[in-house]
Amino acid sequence: MKKSFGFPILFMVIITAFFTFLLAFLNYKTTDIISYNQETAIRRTILYVLDIDLPSQEPEVIEEVFNKYIVEEEVGGETVYVAKDGEEVKGYAFPIGGGALWGTVQGYAAVSEDLSTLLGIDFISHSETPGLGGRISEDWFKEQFRGLDLTIGKNGEYIIYRPAPNGNVDAIAGATQTSKAVSDFINKDIDEFLSRMRGEN
Amino acid sequence: MAKDSVKDIFKMGIWDDNPIFRQIIGICSTLAATNLMKNSLIMGLGLIFTTAFSELTVSIIRKFTPKHIRMMVQVLIISVYVIIVDIFLQAYYPEMSKALGPYVGLIITNCIIMGRCEAYAQNNPPLHSFLDGIASGAGYTIILLTIAFIRELLGFGTVFGVKVLGDWWTNWTIMVMAPGAFFVLAVVVWVARSITMKEEKKEEVATS
Repeated sequence: MKKSFGFPILFMVIITAFFTFLLAFLNYKTTDIISYNQETAIRRTILYVLDIDLPSQEPEVIEEVFNKYIVEEEVGGETVYVAKDGEEVKGYAFPIGGGALWGTVQGYAAVSEDLSTLLGIDFISHSETPGLGGRISEDWFKEQFRGLDLTIGKNGEYIIYRPAPNGNVDAIAGATQTSKAVSDFINKDIDEFLSRMRGEN
Repeated sequence: MAKDSVKDIFKMGIWDDNPIFRQIIGICSTLAATNLMKNSLIMGLGLIFTTAFSELTVSIIRKFTPKHIRMMVQVLIISVYVIIVDIFLQAYYPEMSKALGPYVGLIITNCIIMGRCEAYAQNNPPLHSFLDGIASGAGYTIILLTIAFIRELLGFGTVFGVKVLGDWWTNWTIMVMAPGAFFVLAVVVWVARSITMKEEKKEEVATS
């Protein structure tokens, strides 16, 4: 048996088939719940950037609030989430993202209906160093972006770190490169979004 | 060797034959996943699960496995369990899955699992192999938590995310970054080796 040529091949085929079916079954069983988790994460982010309060963090509650206030619209080939209270538009959420120190950062930003105020930003994925650049996903950093005036920005400079003149946000100590990269793509993406919205109107 | 008692298996895995400071394997993830204790704990639990069940499976089919393809079979079995851990975290602990990111998939490259499958499960009965997996995984987890404790305390002033050091404490940024892990790991190995060396000397004196 040990010397035969066919047995090892047969053995490998059987064992591979067995484990592949096992994994395929598990994958099939959990696909729905995993995609629901991912949708929940995006819903939570969009509600956060639009500054809509959540009564609780339960996935069902998040879905309910999301469906009540948010409408998806296509603007210039990109999906924009519009927050509506009845017929009145409250603001727009749109994707932001770009390269940072270690990898791509993705998130969402939201501006008010008249495009004059930044309502908030949040990140859904990043690969920055935990405790350093990774602190971009901490509340104290994100909360600084609430209610920033977008009408005074010149040359697409909406986010300026203190202590530079007209600075409006604190950077993360010890994570200069990440902070710089984040402000760069936020400025760029807000600028693009604003010009696209103004073009449409 | 086939009749190791449960106590011996755990003594070997956690101290005498500890994967990290005796065998110096599984170092990559020790360096990568130790800046927060929570990450280390989940990483350790993932490794205990994977090692224990991989060893169990390898041991059950050891009599039928042709010797010259056993490595292929081991890699297959290990990857299956790592994917199970990954799917499980994504489905039921999405926050944890996000925090650990690519490290979960990288459990497969951890030398401890394959090392133990090859060195132990290949020659021992299933139950003992399963326990050996838990013991080796526990040895790894304990060292990971020790290193993470030092790094998190000095780097953030926290333990498991709870602030323990007051405002007077200045965070050591280097502890959070990769070089900090090298320093702390080296010190831990140094301390552990000094203790075991003393024990070995005592034994020599006692036997002579």
